[in-house]
Amino acid sequence: MWLTSKIKQVLMVIKPGVVTLNYPFEKRPVPENFRGAPYWDHEKCIGCGGCANHCPARTILVRDICQEIRVMVYDGSRCTYCGRCADVCPEKAITMTDRYELATDDRQDLNESMELFMLTCQRCGRCYDMENVNMIDRMDLQGYRYDNIEARTFIRKTTDRFDPEMLKKTADYKRPSKIGE
Amino acid sequence: MNSLDKVLKTLQDKFGAGITGHASPLPTRLFINIKAENVREISNEVVALGGRYLVGIGHDNIARDGNIGMIHTFGFDKDNFIVHLNAAVPGSNPVMPSITPDIPGAGWSEREYQDLLGMKFEGHPKPKRLVVADDWPADIFPMRKEVPYNMVPPAAEDVAYQLDECPEGCSIIPVGPFHTALHEPEHFAVYVDGETIKGCDYRGFMTHRGIEKLCESQVSYNEVPFIAERICGICGSVHATAYSQAVEMAGGIPVPKRAEYIRSLLLEIERLHSHLLWLGVAGHLIGFDTVFMQSWRVRENIMWLSERITGNRKTYGMVIVGGVRRDITPEIGEDILKVCAKVEEEVKIIHKSITGDTALHKRTKGVGYLSKEEAIKWSLVGPVARARGIDIDVRRDHPYAAYSELQFNVPVVDTCDVWGTLVVRLLEIYESISLVRQIIAKMPKGEILTELSEEIPPLKHGISVVEAPRGESVHFVITGEENRPDRWRVRAPTYPNLQAIPAMLLNDQFADFPIIVGSIDPCFSCTDRVEVVNVTSGKKRIMSKSEIEFISRGNR
Amino acid sequence: MDIVYIVVNIVIFLAFAPLFEGIVRKLTAKVQSRQGPPVIQPYYDIIKLLGKENFIVGNWAFTLAPLMSFAAIISVICFVPLGYKANFLTQYADVITIIYLLTLGGVSILLGALSSKNTFAMMGASREMVTMIMVEPVLAMTFFVGAVKVKSLGIDATIFSVMNTGYSWAVVLMMALYLMALQAFVGKQPFDIAEAEQEILEGPFIEYSGPNYALFKYSMMLKQMFYASLFVMVFVPFLYTGVYALDIAIQLCEIALVYVLIALVGATNPRLRIDQAVKYYAVLIVLALSAVGLSVYGI
Repeated sequence: MWLTSKIKQVLMVIKPGVVTLNYPFEKRPVPENFRGAPYWDHEKCIGCGGCANHCPARTILVRDICQEIRVMVYDGSRCTYCGRCADVCPEKAITMTDRYELATDDRQDLNESMELFMLTCQRCGRCYDMENVNMIDRMDLQGYRYDNIEARTFIRKTTDRFDPEMLKKTADYKRPSKIGE
Repeated sequence: MNSLDKVLKTLQDKFGAGITGHASPLPTRLFINIKAENVREISNEVVALGGRYLVGIGHDNIARDGNIGMIHTFGFDKDNFIVHLNAAVPGSNPVMPSITPDIPGAGWSEREYQDLLGMKFEGHPKPKRLVVADDWPADIFPMRKEVPYNMVPPAAEDVAYQLDECPEGCSIIPVGPFHTALHEPEHFAVYVDGETIKGCDYRGFMTHRGIEKLCESQVSYNEVPFIAERICGICGSVHATAYSQAVEMAGGIPVPKRAEYIRSLLLEIERLHSHLLWLGVAGHLIGFDTVFMQSWRVRENIMWLSERITGNRKTYGMVIVGGVRRDITPEIGEDILKVCAKVEEEVKIIHKSITGDTALHKRTKGVGYLSKEEAIKWSLVGPVARARGIDIDVRRDHPYAAYSELQFNVPVVDTCDVWGTLVVRLLEIYESISLVRQIIAKMPKGEILTELSEEIPPLKHGISVVEAPRGESVHFVITGEENRPDRWRVRAPTYPNLQAIPAMLLNDQFADFPIIVGSIDPCFSCTDRVEVVNVTSGKKRIMSKSEIEFISRGNR
Repeated sequence: MDIVYIVVNIVIFLAFAPLFEGIVRKLTAKVQSRQGPPVIQPYYDIIKLLGKENFIVGNWAFTLAPLMSFAAIISVICFVPLGYKANFLTQYADVITIIYLLTLGGVSILLGALSSKNTFAMMGASREMVTMIMVEPVLAMTFFVGAVKVKSLGIDATIFSVMNTGYSWAVVLMMALYLMALQAFVGKQPFDIAEAEQEILEGPFIEYSGPNYALFKYSMMLKQMFYASLFVMVFVPFLYTGVYALDIAIQLCEIALVYVLIALVGATNPRLRIDQAVKYYAVLIVLALSAVGLSVYGI
């Protein structure tokens, strides 16, 4: 009994063989649908802030630095890669890529930020998108705009753990190529 | 046979004035309001009627009516209903009788609210600090609503938890806070006489992350599932499902049938994963690394499968309130069946090669013995209980998701030791595989998500019980305003099982310590989820590599 | 010229002990479906440890212990008649000396563990002590079976007793017992109780780091190779060619086979508890005694 078990245990391995890979040189491909690092397509983004509103880890910060310019900052160091932002994005501007080797010794490497030029509504002075029928209307748009007094409370509650200096430090904004040229 | 009416009637007859009201929103749930001073007698009566202690929930209601509430919940497994005893004590003087002397499983729940809400339990046998850190100020009760979620009181160096008295002639072996047998920081002080364990004191709750407080004060209903998944790395989907079901019950949100099937599928895949993982860890803990590597090799298929279905190897992120996020396409269904066939075959090989191994029997049979009576007294759950002859399984006893429409056996053995746990888990792997096949075959077509159109009404209570791989998880939700729960209480399976560890360890060899603790598959972070200690303090500092190196060399 | 044989002994042991350790690791990895580390990983380990910082937590005994352990095993190796060639040192010692020196290696582990005052080290030390007390007799009996046969305690006479006088039932029994005790001699599963990473965190060595730990590791590897080579020299002395270099090569191959056995047994067994192990050793000792008894009667 004892011996047969031992023999079985040794022989167990014959069929599968060695299954580990010579990792850094040999990578296992990831399946489609994989949720790796998110990527923002700044050309598609309309700056609605839906992703920021639904991010459980609060890693996405939206801030209007003036009437026309909206800055979106993604802090990847706390991201849980749940892909919720990609789900809710009305313009499918966010895709979950297949990148998963994200280790770095500088957390700035993980951040992504973009500046969006927003149009201004002549009537109320707020930012909006050209199209009338879009997901924005259905999305809870509280907050993320400093001109909204009601939202200011929301910002304080949800984003006070962000370093206010972070925006200044993040110098590598991506410039949109089409709009605002 | 019991029924809700019968329980209610018995209690009303016996304690007429002690019962101030009752409600039964669902045919399987009974809420009874009782007077705090009668809690001990009434809960004894409920246990005598066949109730099994689930969890105690304390909640701060001071802002509304000046009271602190304490809800004791009891599950009636044979009859599929849950009884809640809802007591309230004034916030100015929150003293109520303890039920621990009769129901030892309630010990931690009561100690928890002693720390978190400042309640006092008269007659508690061990009213020591349980949850908050040793240097946490004695007059700040973090779970009270007026305490902000990110409060960080100044640290103190000169306070330390006083361990229990060491028995005569024994020496203390510290296991933890960091020890290879424990995969998370916890501290056991094991009192040994030579190599024989004569006692054990536990100081845990070192991995507090403030999840409950955070979710009660910061995030919204549909963000909680993602945080709930991070309560535990292994049974993440269980927590997300349990939370979602509790909210759905409280808010009366219908869930599409297909979503329920997908949830069950995820839970079963998770169970497969967890059992294979546990088998490996158990092998590792007794120094049998071949079992470890081989079962993890098989587990890798499951990991690949979940990556295929959900996009992530673990923490699936599929379950949200109202349904699930991704659908199972026919191609994925085929892959699932393929992987199931492969895993079943491989598990059979492993099963055959280890069940007859006498060397393995030597290390597991008779180890961690706890009799059935003791196990019932400590209200053990999951495979640990089923290895001790207690026939409970939430999937069958309190059906949720799609389990009422699926057929499966609940393996029960009565060896009362670690070997029994191993056998139960191995057999459950086969049951899970058959469940996955049934789910794929029976899955109905349709929607997978109910959009939340209306606001969830505040102050509704919801409880949901879900069978995690290691036992049952209980989630209790009191809905609140501002689109977030007012109170969310999580009780992971390790919570009751860990309380019984000192009893299991008694008179065993120290060499068996890792496998005994390992046999309950302890998930300390599940257990420690509450609390607000040091959720990243306001200050953030980026350390350079050389700084980290400097600190790790023991310098300050 | 005689000194050459001793130097060859030491050089071969120092050079090959980590290699065999590497073979064990690689083979264990294969049984576990892993790639495993390169075969020469133990050399890297030792070189790396030698370059690390040396943390000293005890008194002078803490520093002395690894040196003593290393010195003891090197002295043992000097006496080994590798390649069936007894060197001139053997006439100054007998098998009792070898047993003493091996015990000294164990004692120095105890010394280091006890001087570090770590709870786990203490526990490891007590387990190491029990193992030593219970396993040492089996080794002694192995020599005595031969010694009784040739009526001499001399190292070469004892070790070559099987080669010179052939097998007897006593030798066959002793050979089986030696194989059964082999895992305990080399401190591998199921008898790595003293180190028991999951229970007492490498026990006696918990406080060691850097070069000190490297010395301990190296002496453990040398000890393992000594026990494997002893088996080859005492019990399977057939392939004697008379050519020194060829004999050494053949013996190394045989040692490698013993290591394969060690690896396979180690990979398919859980660690025993100390109380279970003691019962096992007790049976071995009784059987070993009877083997010596048989040998006395010439059976």
